[in-house]
Amino acid sequence: MDLNIDKVIDDIKKDNNIFSAGKVIKVNEYNIEVSGLIDVAFYDEVDIAGKAKGYVFAIHPNKVIVSLTEIEDKIMPGDLVYSLNKEYKCLFSTDSIGKVVDIFGNDLIAGKKFNNLIEVSIDGLDIPLMDRTSVNRSLLTGISGIDLMYPIGRGQRQLIIGDKKTGKTQICLDTIVNQKDKNVICMYVAIGKTKKEVKEIYYDLTKNGAISYTIVMASFNDELPTKSYLTPYVALSVAEELMLQSFDVLVIIDDLKKHADIYRQISLTSNKVPGRDAYPSDIFYAHARMLEKGCQHKSGGSVTILPIVETKAGDITDYISTNIISITDGQIVLSKKNFDKGLKPAINYGLSVSRLGAAVQSKELSKVGSKLRRELLAYLDVKDIYELSDPSELSPALKESIDRGNKMINDLKQYKYSPKSESEMQTLFSYVERVEKEG
Amino acid sequence: MEVGKIISIFEISVEVVVSDNTIKIGDVLETVDNSKYRFEVIEITNTTALCISLNSTRGLKKGTIVKKVDDGLKMEYSDALMGRIFDAYGEVLDNKEFKSINKKFINNSTVSMKDLNVESSMLKTGIKVIDFFAPMQKGFKMGLLGGAGVGKTVLIKELIYNLYNASKINSVFVGIGERSREGKELYDDIVSSNLLDNMTMVFGQMSKNPVVRSKCVQTGLVAAEYLRDEKKGDVLLFIDNIYRYIQARSEISMELKEMLVGNGYPSSTAAEVSKIEERLSSTKDGTITSFQAIYIPADDYNDDAVQNVVSYMDGQIVLDRHIAELGIYPAIDVFKSTSRLVDIDKIGERHFKLVEETLKYLTRYQELEEIIAVLGIDELSDEDKNIFHRSRKLRYYFSQPLHVSEQFTNIKGEYVELEDVLNDVENILNGTYDNVDENAFFYIGKYNAH
Repeated sequence: MDLNIDKVIDDIKKDNNIFSAGKVIKVNEYNIEVSGLIDVAFYDEVDIAGKAKGYVFAIHPNKVIVSLTEIEDKIMPGDLVYSLNKEYKCLFSTDSIGKVVDIFGNDLIAGKKFNNLIEVSIDGLDIPLMDRTSVNRSLLTGISGIDLMYPIGRGQRQLIIGDKKTGKTQICLDTIVNQKDKNVICMYVAIGKTKKEVKEIYYDLTKNGAISYTIVMASFNDELPTKSYLTPYVALSVAEELMLQSFDVLVIIDDLKKHADIYRQISLTSNKVPGRDAYPSDIFYAHARMLEKGCQHKSGGSVTILPIVETKAGDITDYISTNIISITDGQIVLSKKNFDKGLKPAINYGLSVSRLGAAVQSKELSKVGSKLRRELLAYLDVKDIYELSDPSELSPALKESIDRGNKMINDLKQYKYSPKSESEMQTLFSYVERVEKEG
Repeated sequence: MEVGKIISIFEISVEVVVSDNTIKIGDVLETVDNSKYRFEVIEITNTTALCISLNSTRGLKKGTIVKKVDDGLKMEYSDALMGRIFDAYGEVLDNKEFKSINKKFINNSTVSMKDLNVESSMLKTGIKVIDFFAPMQKGFKMGLLGGAGVGKTVLIKELIYNLYNASKINSVFVGIGERSREGKELYDDIVSSNLLDNMTMVFGQMSKNPVVRSKCVQTGLVAAEYLRDEKKGDVLLFIDNIYRYIQARSEISMELKEMLVGNGYPSSTAAEVSKIEERLSSTKDGTITSFQAIYIPADDYNDDAVQNVVSYMDGQIVLDRHIAELGIYPAIDVFKSTSRLVDIDKIGERHFKLVEETLKYLTRYQELEEIIAVLGIDELSDEDKNIFHRSRKLRYYFSQPLHVSEQFTNIKGEYVELEDVLNDVENILNGTYDNVDENAFFYIGKYNAH
């Protein structure tokens, strides 16, 4: 090995952390191959000649593959590589609340690094089965279509799924805004969004007085895919840490389809064998271990996750969508058709599900909600059959139930940032219960 | 005994240069300095051993010395396993004291043809749509197929409620690659209703690495085999979800850089599945009746892995998203749900004829729906109108309030006798209930004519 031995010895003397070195032998966009670097552990943090940082991605008998996370300068073959002899970790500041941050501890609006940084591990150990307790406290969104029929509990994972421009992000922002004075720390995690979108979201949250309890953690399209890939894991590690301190945390992940595509890109360039739709076979595990961080912990804290998935042409049965549906505790499906009809939020009430249901609702809300859902679905089914019939020939009972269905649909409409309280919802839909009693 | 040194690490695949030629496939190795890292040998050459790591390899150093600790993974094989909850490697999870009496390797052989027993008696589930369309027998393997979020787990939980809670027959629950929250809730439910004594649970949930998820089926099978062979009795086995086993195997194959075939499954899928399914058989000592949830990826019923597992099933219940969309639960597709028992000699003429007639009505109903979408309901002939309305009643009638979903429906769960189902279906078909509003059949047990 023709390493510059003197320099290595020199470096070792200067800094006790550096005890192993190697040399770059191959460079591509976000991976490098290194020879040497003998005394190294899997997932160790690595520094490349002060120009870039990364972590050990694979150890082979004669070489080590390093995944790059931060690049400041061009890497050349022959550059020296040092292992820092510690697990790769990201940085986070406790001052992040109210800010837009990234996983390296930068305040992106102010354009500088935070001062008081702590290390955060990337997707550490899973939460033991026995440390989880049942999810039974509600987390209200203020949207009657959700709180009544597809309620969300603290510690629940509820997917928000739909086409482009159907109001997915809006539902999540509404939910954040509705957490005011409810002792919930909110995190909005942007994956591969544009800087403009994220800044707009930041302003929206500020205008609605929600930024004082919200952290926006962002990664952008023009950054390294590794960074976007790691962002949600880091966000959830932070959330988990807060949960263990008994805080309730709400995490929005916008969005996981993008995350899957980024992971596919990384996997294919590192020669993993592609599976269905060219995604790697462990794409399910990649998302499962992320979303399994959502739970009600025995410490009293909780992590609620609302992941977003973007679909094409309203198809929620594609590979990534069904994977995530099978991980989450329910889904809110948004429909383009409803959105265009002006029925906002554009929830498809038939396809949406909450697997926790009444367990996370107040008794009163659940009573109204379950009847509302049953009647609404029955109405949507019947509506198609009698659409062509002459209204004057319908039986009075049928006509009345169709009229009531129309009223329900109308009453479920709600403008953005206009949350309703539990009692407002109950009053608005009290007629559902009344009619059933009479019948 | 030191056996070698680690030379390569990539996620869960670890290669060891061996200094000892006694290493065999299946051996369990461990790093000498601590037991945080353990490996199972899956391939050997005269100088190296390729292993899969049983735990995360994070922080594992190149050059670490490994020693051999056992000839294979083991699971408790004694009465001590009853009423306990285990992980995939046979360790108890419930934080209570555990004293092992006897352990057995989790890789066991399948049942030979000589020992196999196929004669058996009927088994009622109390769920209308299953008992009617896909009746069960002791020793059957019932596949519960469904895409994401159409209610497989709820159905498994209801079966546990109706079958295990009622009979307290020895049971094993294996949770593979499913939600940890549901696993814990199921455990809590069983503990709080004081029913844990005859239940053994094994978990390898979706937050675990693929090795854990692929091993926990075999670990669960050891428990079921103990109850059958040593306790000499009937066993109920619930697996949620067997597809995740194949999925975990594919992940391992990918990490080992094996060539994958269609949709990312290893070419050995069929062999892997048979090693599991052929162990789940009934012998003269006792029966193993299994309910296996099968996830359908991307709603693709023809997926290779799904079809592979289904070929071992004696019956299948298929859950359908379109029916779930209508709010009808359990959301069962009656056209695809059936069992080996649906035969005029086995269930009797009356039941068989009713199934045939019902399917005939529902098939016509689907055609009529298309006609109505174009012409409206008023254009139908009287006979078709009858078929249309009776079919809708049947469709509603096969919804059922389940005990385990009381919290969603706010309706009390019901166990329904098959005889009642046959009577009700007969009455709907022959027009006795033509004057009853269809909503009267929605979410009921048996129909009570006033």
